[in-house]
Amino acid sequence: MPDELTPSPDSPRPAATPPPNPAEGPGKGEIEPILTVPPVPGAPKPNPILTVDNLARSFGGLRAVDVDHLEVERGVVTALIGPNGAGKTTLFNLLSGFDRADSGRWSFDGRAVTAPAPDQLARQGMIRTFQLTKSLAKLTVIDNVLLGAPGQAGERLWTAPFRWRWRDQERENTGRAEELLERFNLAHMRDELAGTLSGGQRKLLEVARALMANPVLIMLDEPMAGVNPALGQSLMRHITLLAHEGMSVVFIEHAMDVVTGLSDWVVVLSQGRIIAEGPPWKVIHDDDVIDAYLGRRRAGDAL
Amino acid sequence: MDFDIIFGNAARAAFGPEAVILALAAIGLNVHFGFTGMLNCGQVGFLLLGAYGTSVSVATFGWSLWAGVLIGLFLSLALAAALGFPTLRLNPLLFAIATIAAAEIIRILIGSTDAIGLTGGPLSVSFDAGAFYDLNPYPDGPQDRYGIGTFEFTGQQLWVITVGWALIALISLAIFLLVRSPWGRVLKSIREDEDAARSLGKNVFSYKMQALLIGGGIGGLAGVIDAIKTSGADPNGFRPQVTFFAYAALLLGGAATYLGPVLGAVLFWFLREWIESFLRQLASESWLPGAASDFLDGAEGIISVAMVGLALVLLMLFRPQGLTGNRTELHLDAR
Ligand SMILES: Nc1ncnc2c1ncn2[C@@H]1O[C@H](COP(=O)(O)OP(=O)(O)OP(=O)(O)O)[C@@H](O)[C@H]1O
Ligand SMILES: [Mg+2]
Repeated sequence: MPDELTPSPDSPRPAATPPPNPAEGPGKGEIEPILTVPPVPGAPKPNPILTVDNLARSFGGLRAVDVDHLEVERGVVTALIGPNGAGKTTLFNLLSGFDRADSGRWSFDGRAVTAPAPDQLARQGMIRTFQLTKSLAKLTVIDNVLLGAPGQAGERLWTAPFRWRWRDQERENTGRAEELLERFNLAHMRDELAGTLSGGQRKLLEVARALMANPVLIMLDEPMAGVNPALGQSLMRHITLLAHEGMSVVFIEHAMDVVTGLSDWVVVLSQGRIIAEGPPWKVIHDDDVIDAYLGRRRAGDAL
Repeated sequence: MDFDIIFGNAARAAFGPEAVILALAAIGLNVHFGFTGMLNCGQVGFLLLGAYGTSVSVATFGWSLWAGVLIGLFLSLALAAALGFPTLRLNPLLFAIATIAAAEIIRILIGSTDAIGLTGGPLSVSFDAGAFYDLNPYPDGPQDRYGIGTFEFTGQQLWVITVGWALIALISLAIFLLVRSPWGRVLKSIREDEDAARSLGKNVFSYKMQALLIGGGIGGLAGVIDAIKTSGADPNGFRPQVTFFAYAALLLGGAATYLGPVLGAVLFWFLREWIESFLRQLASESWLPGAASDFLDGAEGIISVAMVGLALVLLMLFRPQGLTGNRTELHLDAR
């Protein structure tokens, strides 16, 4: 799969800028609207799925997240990078409702998030995975994935005992879940308990389960950590394809080659603040980023 | 030493009303603990309200038995709701403490002298369960006995256990239908990791509440049957150990299985009565030192309960998943 849609640092796209049209997704041969956005922290986007304002979270004296303004563009792949302890996971936790912000506002998919509850946000289409995987050990692999399916009639107490009310839907979901397992190299583990999977397989399972939920926005916390690089890259490329069908993707990743290879846009977090954002090939040359994150000496190696 | 008598006694206990009540209590606990992972340490509270709801309605207020049954069930559901709403969103340990505390508080209040006018207080309450026994199809003359040897029941007892086992079968079937569905999958996912369930859009509080109500209601039903069986209720019958006997039965049989709680309850009462009868025979043939015989008569079956505890310890050592559990599941925790 050639990286047509993911510019590499060696061949930056010409900065031709046709007028962005937020109503339409990026069509074939068209320049994505995201590339017209100026690469400055907090830059407004043409069609944001997520808009964050003045979000802050402290642990004791430590300001783990302190974001003045952030917009995440719809239908593109955004990488969230930053050194260890920069606040990436904490930012995910806040946005998805798993942690309480000290202050701040954000809106998701055009709706202000006033009382963030994780399950409610998930039902609206914001699906996140966890850095420390949460596989459901005593459920089978297929049941883990099936759990992700949205809107299941059989999950309601009143319909659950009557199999004919949910059998068809379950069959459909099972078909889709099996396709995902196939793609994630887990088909042979279909009926094993998820607790028997290896660390990398659990990561894969969690991403498959998240995709099963048909997310509007998928937020992946180091999805490929511990996964063999070839498989990881091919899966992430699959996810970027889904992004071009309209799903929005934010992923946290430390490996620079993965970030530059897969993302359309990069947001750099350091000590809780956004210190840079922009297309990957630009961000990587940003002096602040190199100072804060890559380190001058390693900047050359990474490219 | 007559092992036929010992075996007959044990078998009668294993299928008698006590086992029915324990099985229902354990089935309810299985919904809480086995499938949803909620550590309910006060299952006896649901039994208590089921039993007293029935008894007080009939004895004190003079309502019909069937109204009493409904009130008993309603009160146990109300306890589930009252426990669940404030605690289910908090730390799971808080829920555990709240359940055991609530059960004890209710027992102490009901058994206090101030409550004599309403519940009989420390004296037990008794009522006429005739409406239930009127439906008894088994001839119930003074000479009528059903069974062989010491494994025999009176017509009334047989009627109670017929109804009891029919209810156990029905409820087990309903639980099976529920738990094998996507609804059951959500329960188990909550048991494994609440946050994972939340991240996939499941309303964890709502599911826990549903499980709490279902399991508590089944516990309430056990209490109702207890009240009908004894035509009354006594606060001493609802001490905290009842909950732990239910846990013992559940773990013996295998938690998170469909038949585990029922098998466990049968086995629990079989073992307990077998040991008790055995010791009594030993004592009657004066093979047992006098002090030990005192134990048999003094504290309610203290030795046999201790022996059941020992059996449980051995089981945990050699078959930790219970009789029907799945061994591979158990070893996942170690990873
Ligand atoms: N629950 C918590 N209690 C106290 N401090 C916390 C907590 N969670 C995070 N922190 C602190 O907040 C900071 C940001 O942590 P976070 O997990 O968000 O970093 P990260 O960017 O995801 O790092 P990594 O790349 O290593 O995963 C760290 O300094 C961490 O110690
Ligand atoms: Mg992290």
